[in-house]
Amino acid sequence: MSFATRTWDRLTLPGRILAVLVPALVGLLVVLVVLVALLGGPIVDFLAANIGLVRFVVAATGVLVLSIPTAFIIIYMEMKVIARMNQRVGPQRVGPWGSLMSVFHGLKVLMKEDFTPTGADPIVFTWAPVVTFMGSVMTMAVIPFAPGLFGQDFNVGLLYLFSMGGLTVVGLLMGGWASFNKYSLLGGLRSAAQIISYEIPLTLSVVGLIILAGSMSLDRLVLMQSGSVLDWNVFRQPLGALIFFIAATAEANRTPFDLTEADSEIVAGFATEYSGMRFGFFFFAEYVNVFIVSALIVTFFFGGWTAPVGWPFPVSLHLDPGSLGIGLLFLVLLAPVVGTLVLGAPFWLWRSSISTLQALAIGFVLFNALVVLALLGWAFVSFDWVVGLVWFFAKTYVFVFTFVWMRATLPRVRIDQLMGFAWKWLLPAALLNLFVTAAAVVALGR
Amino acid sequence: MDRVLKHRLEHRFESLLAGPVHQRHDETELRVGPGAVPEVMAALHDEPEFRFEMLVDLAGVDTGEVMQVVYHLWSETTTDWLRVIADGLSRDDPRVPSVTFLWKGAEWMEREAYDMFGITFEGNRDLRRIFMPPDYTSFPLRKDFYLPDDAARSPGAGVRHMERTHAPADAPAAVRLRKARGA
Amino acid sequence: MTTEQRISQDDPRVTLDEQAGVFEPVPPYPPRTEREAEFYTAGDGELFLNMGPQHPSTHGVLRLVLKLNGEQIVDIDPVLGYLHRGVEKICENSDWHHINNQVDPLEYLASLFNEWPPVLAFEKLFDVQVPRRAEYIRVLTGELLRVASHTLFMGWLALDLGGLTPILYAFIERDEIVEALAAVTGARMLFNYFRIGGVNGDVNHEFLSRVGDWMSRASGQVEANGRLLNENEIFIRRTRGMGVVDREMAMRMSVSGPNLRAAGVPFDLRRAHPYSVYPELDFDIPTRQGGDSLARYLIRIDEIKQSLRIIDQCLHELPDGPVMAKLPRLLRARPGRAWGAVEGPRGIVGTYAISDGTDQPFRLRIHDPSFLHLQLLPFLMPGRLVADTMAVMASFDPVMGGVDK
Repeated sequence: MSFATRTWDRLTLPGRILAVLVPALVGLLVVLVVLVALLGGPIVDFLAANIGLVRFVVAATGVLVLSIPTAFIIIYMEMKVIARMNQRVGPQRVGPWGSLMSVFHGLKVLMKEDFTPTGADPIVFTWAPVVTFMGSVMTMAVIPFAPGLFGQDFNVGLLYLFSMGGLTVVGLLMGGWASFNKYSLLGGLRSAAQIISYEIPLTLSVVGLIILAGSMSLDRLVLMQSGSVLDWNVFRQPLGALIFFIAATAEANRTPFDLTEADSEIVAGFATEYSGMRFGFFFFAEYVNVFIVSALIVTFFFGGWTAPVGWPFPVSLHLDPGSLGIGLLFLVLLAPVVGTLVLGAPFWLWRSSISTLQALAIGFVLFNALVVLALLGWAFVSFDWVVGLVWFFAKTYVFVFTFVWMRATLPRVRIDQLMGFAWKWLLPAALLNLFVTAAAVVALGR
Repeated sequence: MDRVLKHRLEHRFESLLAGPVHQRHDETELRVGPGAVPEVMAALHDEPEFRFEMLVDLAGVDTGEVMQVVYHLWSETTTDWLRVIADGLSRDDPRVPSVTFLWKGAEWMEREAYDMFGITFEGNRDLRRIFMPPDYTSFPLRKDFYLPDDAARSPGAGVRHMERTHAPADAPAAVRLRKARGA
Repeated sequence: MTTEQRISQDDPRVTLDEQAGVFEPVPPYPPRTEREAEFYTAGDGELFLNMGPQHPSTHGVLRLVLKLNGEQIVDIDPVLGYLHRGVEKICENSDWHHINNQVDPLEYLASLFNEWPPVLAFEKLFDVQVPRRAEYIRVLTGELLRVASHTLFMGWLALDLGGLTPILYAFIERDEIVEALAAVTGARMLFNYFRIGGVNGDVNHEFLSRVGDWMSRASGQVEANGRLLNENEIFIRRTRGMGVVDREMAMRMSVSGPNLRAAGVPFDLRRAHPYSVYPELDFDIPTRQGGDSLARYLIRIDEIKQSLRIIDQCLHELPDGPVMAKLPRLLRARPGRAWGAVEGPRGIVGTYAISDGTDQPFRLRIHDPSFLHLQLLPFLMPGRLVADTMAVMASFDPVMGGVDK
């Protein structure tokens, strides 16, 4: 028995995985470096010539990757917030404060059987969730998250946005039609009627903004609102903002407009016959939609990534680590030790039941947390896009919270009330808003 | 006990009564033949001295010898419950006129009585099984209903092998029939 | 493969019959009644939608067959019997004392009101005088359960209209009540507490302290639960004018309980035909005029307030004495008939008992109000939308355990 075999047998499973992975990764890296060294010039030239392609690939990957944690966070938030509003505790077992619950929901859905009912149209049935999911994820590509941080800045960004939003309904309709179930059919038809009706006031409410900004690019819309709170579009277009919020709620199929999956009437609507990951795609798309809708409200009417107030203390840190010379090395080595000791000492003194080792562990964790915070603070004051990102997500999650809050509070409207509201109230109001805006722009000669 | 009600009932329905009017606690009991049901009920419902506007309950009864349909009525003119017993329906083909022309709500209660006893209510537009499956063949609350035997006879009972094998094939019907002394 | 044999996508070994898994609500046999023939004949553009017995909001195992034109209901046919256990037949083979146990699970949300009518009827049969303390305890526990049932109704109606929160607030109140009742009866749902001639065991300190504690904030809590929905515009628009049962129709359809009082008829057995100690207690019979789902919802809030008044009086005026009459161990009634009816949370609950002189009843008829209320659906729903089925059905507060017996 050779040395290698004996070593392999002694290793545990994680050890074996590492023993395979680490050499493989190192090999891959070496190959890459060699390739870049040999073919570097042509590749760089090619990419530089097609910078749009690079941007597209990176943006698409980023958006797809981003959509999954977003859905997880919103699902967890919904579970926890609604539970608190219902005087329940909500998830608390998986992860700290139950925060991994939605991840495990995702894993559970992955492992479930993907069932196709007899009589269903298998091709349409299979593709429906994909279409829905793609429709909502592709919308994310044009949202400006921070200055310079967006997938693609079209000059027809708004049109792209609404056309992609309309793609969602195709998926729902496909699912409802192909499921061979009357509940699904009713749900699919309801969603088609609802989303198409609400698309009109949704689009019209933003036309006022287009007139004001003179552009359909989302980045331009955000830049138009930079400055203070008073520059936000919500103060220029209050009616438009209200209409957009209501119509967006209906677009995202959220309570009180969640008729497409009204569980007390038509069981689960278009998703009745779906199981496993196909259902998971529908579910993901719904929550990604919530995020997108909130992000759009923020982008259009609440200043996007711009800060509501100018930072009152102009801080500029000009740190040059190189100036410390050899001192830098000592700092990097000493700071964790000193920090751990200083932060751990109070715990060690506080309770005799906390052992020295535990106190040190607490101190180390605390020190790392502090360092991360400090780094974040440094990034916040040093980089524009970090500030933008922070403000963007803060504002967006306020609206996500509002949607969750509405779900815990309101009952569901009926389909005729829903349609009547869209056509009798929202559409005239949106037209009025558009007319007044246009008239004002002409009159003031801007 | 409302003595006045008893006299009024006896006076009004003299010829239609199938037995004396009984009174006990807060209940007054009227016994009529099945043919007289529509006339008696209409009179009780409409005439201002009775005004029994509310049909509280409708029940079928199998006394072992005859079938009965029992109506419980309430009126604000009296402190008593009024019980009308339509007595003497034949067990082979029990028939009684429906009261749905007075109380639409009697429809389902009559369906239930039909389901459980096989009593046919003439004039009920929807007399089908309500609790038992539609292909069920016997009437479970009849006194000669012998559970394993009758359940196994039903087409929907293909799985009940045990009951079928344990049912005494030739138990005399008279042994199984419990007869009422009080009804 | 000879002809069109379809292979299952999930398991290639399975061959699918073309018709497998396809369920049509239309029965396979020819119609037997006028009504069945009329209902199961689809007109132009009409489809049948089968709702239940497994459905999130049919309150158990009710099955509704809906004839739809788009989303509009043309007709509706309730199909019962999925929970039929033959309790009446079982009771015919039970001892007089065992009846309580058999009828308990009928209307499981207010099971004391299932025990009360048989007990009332048997006491008439045996000529038993119930001690006053026992009567007070019956009224006290019964009214507590009425509050629990009505509170839960407020939550259920909201849930069927898509509101998630009120049901959980309702369960908090209900839990307080059933915990208190568990302290004296030993069970949370199926109490088996009333006995012929009294109740099983006197009230104890834990029960009284729990009830007193709860009473000190009950009316505030009920108000707060009501505020979750009472003035909600969506809720009002969903329920106002829905399923209107006017006075005339209510009397013809034998509607009773809160559903009748919502139509403006002040009929309550506790006053109309008093039993137990209700004549001695001070309370009102609230009525509403609308007769629609909203009125049926609001009347229950009014009734909770009246029930709280009764509970308060019972707690203050609870007399001393025994809680059980002296009875022989083996009961044998003399031949006779008796009818006992009480006002349950859903309407008149009644029992008609025939004794033939043995230790078992010869016939025991159980009357449940929910059964009659479901009968209204075919008359109220045509012309409404699918979503309204829930708003109307839930507002009658049916419990399928009682309907299917």
